[in-house]
Amino acid sequence: MLRGHFRILPFLSAYITLNICQAVLLYFIYHRFGRVSDAAYVAAWWSEAITVLARVFATVEIIHMALISYRGIWGLAWRLLGLISLVMSIAVALAAEGDVDWALLHADRGYHLIFAMATVGCLLLIRYYQISVGRVYRTLLATLCSYSCVKILLDTVLQNILYAQYLEYAAIWQLVSLFSYIVVLALWAEALWHPLPAIEPQRAVLPSSVYQQVAPEINFQLDALNKRLMGFFKIKERQP
Amino acid sequence: MNYSFLVFSGIGLLLLLLLAWLSFTNLRTKPDDRAASRQERDCRHISYLGYIHQALDRTDIEFLKTRGFPSLANRVEKERRQIALKYLHALRTDFEKLVDFARVMAVMSPDVELVQELQSLRLQLAFSYRYHLIHARLEFGIAPSNALANLSNMVSALTVRMEAAISELGERAVLGSEFGSYSDGGAS
Repeated sequence: MLRGHFRILPFLSAYITLNICQAVLLYFIYHRFGRVSDAAYVAAWWSEAITVLARVFATVEIIHMALISYRGIWGLAWRLLGLISLVMSIAVALAAEGDVDWALLHADRGYHLIFAMATVGCLLLIRYYQISVGRVYRTLLATLCSYSCVKILLDTVLQNILYAQYLEYAAIWQLVSLFSYIVVLALWAEALWHPLPAIEPQRAVLPSSVYQQVAPEINFQLDALNKRLMGFFKIKERQP
Repeated sequence: MNYSFLVFSGIGLLLLLLLAWLSFTNLRTKPDDRAASRQERDCRHISYLGYIHQALDRTDIEFLKTRGFPSLANRVEKERRQIALKYLHALRTDFEKLVDFARVMAVMSPDVELVQELQSLRLQLAFSYRYHLIHARLEFGIAPSNALANLSNMVSALTVRMEAAISELGERAVLGSEFGSYSDGGAS
């Protein structure tokens, strides 16, 4: 961020700043009220809610920067993010229904699941259209997503395996989460140490009317090929 | 171990693996490179259509069998199956070329429709499934070999149509590009 990246990635900068503030705040609250107090519980989860929201904005910003030269694909990615988030939110809500004791942990896992799915969806989209994304953005997206995957596994595996056996379950959960986050921060520091890729001019060189005309026609051709292929299969089936 | 444990840990692991694959494998080519090389990859198999049609004629095999050359007939049949497989592969090449073209179009367009792209993806998945199914049947000789002759008519009709469509699309894209350049020039 010292290299002036905060001008290009303000939401990511805000997210990192909020994380630092969260750590400082929780340190003082834990120190003052104790780690297992109500105040610590409320402060930890509320500050977490704020930072995860900032994380969403930071991730959308990174995807936007990665696809800034491809207006059409960015529009597609944006809709895909919304669609995956909506579908996964419903699925997660249904999966966690009725389990009040673990509501917060399920909410945390649900958030990370939605986040990871949406990010992987965008990365798949980028791969599908064979768009070359700068190393910095690739690393940021991959680490954000991998952290979420680790959190899904931690929330699931630790709850199921360690909770019944160890009293210090919460401490182990916090320690492993913290360690994985430190790894992510180290990778970010390495990635952001390098300059950000220059913003290339818009790649959209075709008027949108061309796509509107040609895309349905291509799909028609693809459909025709499919039908022909299926026809071949049926012809063979009918042969004596 | 409950149901939710298996589902969530499975999804978590799957996402991690997918992410590793996306992170550690490189792109085949850049879109711009593909656009440049696209013109070099024309449908060439159409020029061999006459030979393919001749090769798939069933009467030759029957003739060899009636003349007392069953081993030769089998060999010919096997070789002709290989021809059918190659033809099937050519069909896939045509399909991939069209998909490739659609991708470049989407990348270059300022407005991409989710419905069209999802339909394209659905068609690709359907084609891939059918292709592998037919390929396996031909490879293992499950498909009746006397039906292979039908492949010729199928591919020939389609390839002609495909070539016409691709060239038309190419012309439109160039026209669109030129129109876009003029518009940009006028605006600045």
